[in-house]
Amino acid sequence: MATVRVEIPSSPTPRKRHLLDFEGWSADDVGALFDTADVMAQVLTRAIKRVPALQGFTVGTLFFEDSTRTRLSFERAARAQSADVISFAAGGSSLSKGESLKDTLQTIDQMQADVYVVRHPAAGAPHQLTHWTEAAVINAGDGRRAHPTQALLDAYTFRQRFAGFDGFTGKRLAVVGDIMHSRVARSNVELWRKLGGEVVLCGPAPLLPPEVAPQVRHTYRLEEAVEGAHAVMTLRLQLERMSAGLLPSPAEYVSRYQLTERVLQRAHPDALVMHPGPLNRDVEVATEVADGPRSVIRDQVANGVPIRMAVLYTLLVGTR
Amino acid sequence: MKLKSRLMSAEEMSRALRRIAHEIIERNKGAQDLALVGIHTRGVPLAERLAALIRDIEGETPEVGKLDITLYRDDLTEIALQPVVRKTEVSFDVHGKSMVLCDDVLFTGRTARAALDALVDMGRPAVIQYAVLVDRGHRELPIRADFVGKNVPTSRVELVKVKLRPVDDEDAVDLYELEA
Amino acid sequence: MSRLLVKDAWLVDGAGDHGRADVTIEDGVIRGVGTDAAAGFRAARTVEAAGRLLTPAFLDLHAHLREPGQEVKEDLASGLAAAAAGGFGTVVSMANTEPPVDEPGLVTSLVRKAAGLGRARLRPAAALSHGLRGEVLTDFAALQAAGAVMITDDGIPVTNGRLMRSACQYAADLGLVVQTHSEDPSLRAGGVMNEGAVSQALGLPGNPDAAEAVMVFRDCEMARLTGARVHIAHVTCMRAMQVVEQFKGMGVPVTCEVTPHHLTLSDAALSGFDPVFKVAPPLRSDADVAYLREAIKRGVVDSIGTDHAPHTRAEKERDLLSAPFGLPNIEVAFPLLYTELVVPGTLPVAELLRLLQDGPAAVMGWPAPRLAVGAPADVTLLDLESERPVDPETFLSKARFSPWTGRALRGWPTLTLVAGEVAFERQVPDRSGAASG
Repeated sequence: MATVRVEIPSSPTPRKRHLLDFEGWSADDVGALFDTADVMAQVLTRAIKRVPALQGFTVGTLFFEDSTRTRLSFERAARAQSADVISFAAGGSSLSKGESLKDTLQTIDQMQADVYVVRHPAAGAPHQLTHWTEAAVINAGDGRRAHPTQALLDAYTFRQRFAGFDGFTGKRLAVVGDIMHSRVARSNVELWRKLGGEVVLCGPAPLLPPEVAPQVRHTYRLEEAVEGAHAVMTLRLQLERMSAGLLPSPAEYVSRYQLTERVLQRAHPDALVMHPGPLNRDVEVATEVADGPRSVIRDQVANGVPIRMAVLYTLLVGTR
Repeated sequence: MKLKSRLMSAEEMSRALRRIAHEIIERNKGAQDLALVGIHTRGVPLAERLAALIRDIEGETPEVGKLDITLYRDDLTEIALQPVVRKTEVSFDVHGKSMVLCDDVLFTGRTARAALDALVDMGRPAVIQYAVLVDRGHRELPIRADFVGKNVPTSRVELVKVKLRPVDDEDAVDLYELEA
Repeated sequence: MSRLLVKDAWLVDGAGDHGRADVTIEDGVIRGVGTDAAAGFRAARTVEAAGRLLTPAFLDLHAHLREPGQEVKEDLASGLAAAAAGGFGTVVSMANTEPPVDEPGLVTSLVRKAAGLGRARLRPAAALSHGLRGEVLTDFAALQAAGAVMITDDGIPVTNGRLMRSACQYAADLGLVVQTHSEDPSLRAGGVMNEGAVSQALGLPGNPDAAEAVMVFRDCEMARLTGARVHIAHVTCMRAMQVVEQFKGMGVPVTCEVTPHHLTLSDAALSGFDPVFKVAPPLRSDADVAYLREAIKRGVVDSIGTDHAPHTRAEKERDLLSAPFGLPNIEVAFPLLYTELVVPGTLPVAELLRLLQDGPAAVMGWPAPRLAVGAPADVTLLDLESERPVDPETFLSKARFSPWTGRALRGWPTLTLVAGEVAFERQVPDRSGAASG
């Protein structure tokens, strides 16, 4: 039987196999992902919040590092497209720390998932996995290095909520906090710059080494970082940094780095307030700012699912 | 791809659409609770034209919606390029409506099946009908159109290309032969 | 014992280039050297060297042979065979085994076991502190009597300055070399690679060069304070090398070692996230590598020690945080350094040989190895011309993987004799097509 030729509207850019970080992704690729996420967001408003787009596909979540929120977000994104989900979590008998990463994967790979969503405390673990499986790999956070879907949903939220949004060119993102240990910061730097925007990094000196992102402005002064910024993203402060001798007390951090209404006045009048969550109220951000009209923290959380749906769809559709 | 013949001229298309508009009104006993949903891409200008024709005849404009069925397709295996997913715009409530799905060409029936699944996930219409400009045969599923502009028997190595303004710069239906 | 003739080799040792000649060996020592050495010598075996380089077998003052306790990674048999395959005739084995070599009985059993293997000679190092815990000194004299030639807690830095001082004082009295793994653990702080632009871009915990420089300074001060022979293992960065150079300039009896990997690889190697490149101290920046090479040319570096650190392949397929530190290299060390440093003209071959022969001998206070009548017949025959790719499947070490897999190298040893017996031999077709050593 001769093959039937049906025209399917397609984009000319080559298919992506994995999402480990934004290496190899262009601004247009990200734009297409955002357009797909718009459609997915709409699916989630219907009576039946599901499409059969990934029916028959299996999504495996491999979380070597605990994270209920991100894992559930991916699982929801998979199920909303009718994919099956298998979850492997550290601490359970299925993932053992001493076992070689390769052996762990090869045991799990018997389940023949089409894609692995991987979170791991060591940078590069998702890259290593791509050598040992035929499945696609999505990085849900590797060490301090990258968290691409977080950066995507952050940028997507900005695009959605910034008044009169007309592109990322000329838009400045200020990221404040423990930059050194933050994969959210690194991925946002990578993505915003790829989309044509500017980033300024801010934090206390021991947490802001100059080589984190040498092409990007660094400052230890919050007021300077926020000045004229179109979006201010504060990062979660982990109290372990104090006991590790990296920081003085929380009170000192708050007095110098907390995002308050007063500081926020220096930003662009339409500036958005962002946070990757979970929020330490009145530490990184003052309550009235976190709950104020410019805060899009809740939108970020909500946008996680459509973005992850778009990522899964983009990587998997037509691979079987 | 080689052009074989012109199946419909702009005038023939215009007449066919007017006839279909009348048939829709007749079948549905008027334009009340009527909704036309065009399947991206060329089903959309079709639905819009039919809605305008129905308004001219009945004085009442049916609702018009746009449906993207990419997420419901079952024929996206081993594709090399990234399919573009577009927005579905159905801003009215589908419940209890008489919906007419509009598309340019009916071929295997898979697009129609995907469209049915998509519509049903949106709610519960009273009835769903199907209007196409060209039915070229070779059904792979038990799908039939309620309203047909022209029946054209074709072979599998042929392609029916519908051109519609404003998506294209002319109105025409052409038959091509695919190179072996 | 067997009478062996090495015919027509190109003879080079620390005394100079002796040109092409024959060497006769009997009862484990060199019997004759010269173009007429073969005259009247009834050899049980003749090795046709055909112009290949014959030189004293190398001395490695720093290899981890993993016995006792970690034999899944390596043991004396495989490690000393691998050493001989690398052209090494003597290996000083490190003491950070399980249990650590901190009791004379352990030294004795290692010496005894190695003697019967017929491969490279073993000279064990013993631990500086019991259990490598850095609290209580081991019995240096008893360990030395059992056969230990060096005192070191290598693998674990000795953080307590007072203990290090006492160890140096005591070792100085006994004429023992103290080898140090100089890194400040609190500055190293969980770093898995060099702290720098690469580690920051990868978001991996970094180990700054300052952690090494600070500790190298302390250990050099101990040498100055006590007069002990302190040998700084694996110097990896410019700052640490500058410190060593400064103290040498003052006449302090400190010596230093550089590894083959720190001379040929930089931290950029970790961009591919392959834990085979995870070592301690870490691979450093390109500027550090260049500085080490310059330091060699200035004569600051005393020896090249391999720091051969075998692990199982599974261990090195863990993620970057949990994979153990160390890489295996003893079989490829000479070919790697010959191909990367000598062939492009960066270093003369005589200097490379010095760092593997006279240099380490001087560090230990041993006689300089010579191709001379009466000298022990510990020699290696090197093929400097043929190019062969690194193929871990052919390794004699249990660690059958390598950072340099597939790299085409020259300078492979074809024959290593220890005490006149064949410790390693590779079949090489000679120009006439007949196989010879």
